[in-house]
Amino acid sequence: MRIRLKTALAACAALWVGAAVPAAADTPVTYTDAERALFSFAVPDFWVLRTGGPRDIEDTELGDPRAVARVMGFKPVTDDSVWMGFVSPAGVNSIQDGLRYLEDIDKFLVNDPTVTSTSDTRIAGLPAKVIRGTGTRDGGVSFTATIIDLPRGRVAIAVTILRNGADPAYVDDLNAVFASFRSLQ
Amino acid sequence: MTRKLMKRSVLVLGLGISSLTLAACDGVSVGVGVGYGYDPFYDSMLWNDYYHDVDVDIDIDRPDRPDRPPVNRPPARPTPPIAKPPARPRPPVARPPAARPPIHRPAPRRG
Repeated sequence: MRIRLKTALAACAALWVGAAVPAAADTPVTYTDAERALFSFAVPDFWVLRTGGPRDIEDTELGDPRAVARVMGFKPVTDDSVWMGFVSPAGVNSIQDGLRYLEDIDKFLVNDPTVTSTSDTRIAGLPAKVIRGTGTRDGGVSFTATIIDLPRGRVAIAVTILRNGADPAYVDDLNAVFASFRSLQ
Repeated sequence: MTRKLMKRSVLVLGLGISSLTLAACDGVSVGVGVGYGYDPFYDSMLWNDYYHDVDVDIDIDRPDRPDRPPVNRPPARPTPPIAKPPARPRPPVARPPAARPPIHRPAPRRG
């Protein structure tokens, strides 16, 4: 009887551990371009991911179509104060190009952007440049733009936006995304 | 009588307004003025002037603008594993006569 009780306890403990581990796991996502896997990252639990694809969008004023790369954006299911997006545009081969690319989208992303700091770092063993700053968009926001130099002439651009007053605990989720970042080239 | 009616209507109106006010304080509501599908940052990240000669006054020395990427049309869609349902069969022109329920007859008298 005693032995049976012990085994039952052990089985219960195993169930508990087994139930706890998958709850902590995130959802891996792979960014592809023309059926080529470029990089992967993990979407935090209880966040919603929106994927896009390559397409042409026409400017209503100028009337010229422009190529648009795949954008993957995600945010918490119940909160609009945090946003993060990944894009790997074609023809952007280096961190210098990436900076140039960012200059052409930052005016759409936030108004009156002010860069507070830039730093060079390594993400997943790859050289990366991080630009932090503040701006406005329906209220004050702080943004972090990251350019990660992928092998074979591609870059990954990640933009994170935190509205003023957002829960600081989201910073851990955002950093976990960078921790899960892997190049697949 | 009129006094009683007034009292009652005031009570009913007051309760109605207070319940509406309480419902407005519901903590389940999400976001402020952001509807389903509205994603400003996503749309903004799509849009850029990188491949276009747009007059932007930036005083730092930018690297040369690269060539425009080749416009790759998306490949033809593969046949999805889920087939379209077959067209609904047309009913035959002559419908079979509707089965009529048997006419209820009085039960034979029990002796």
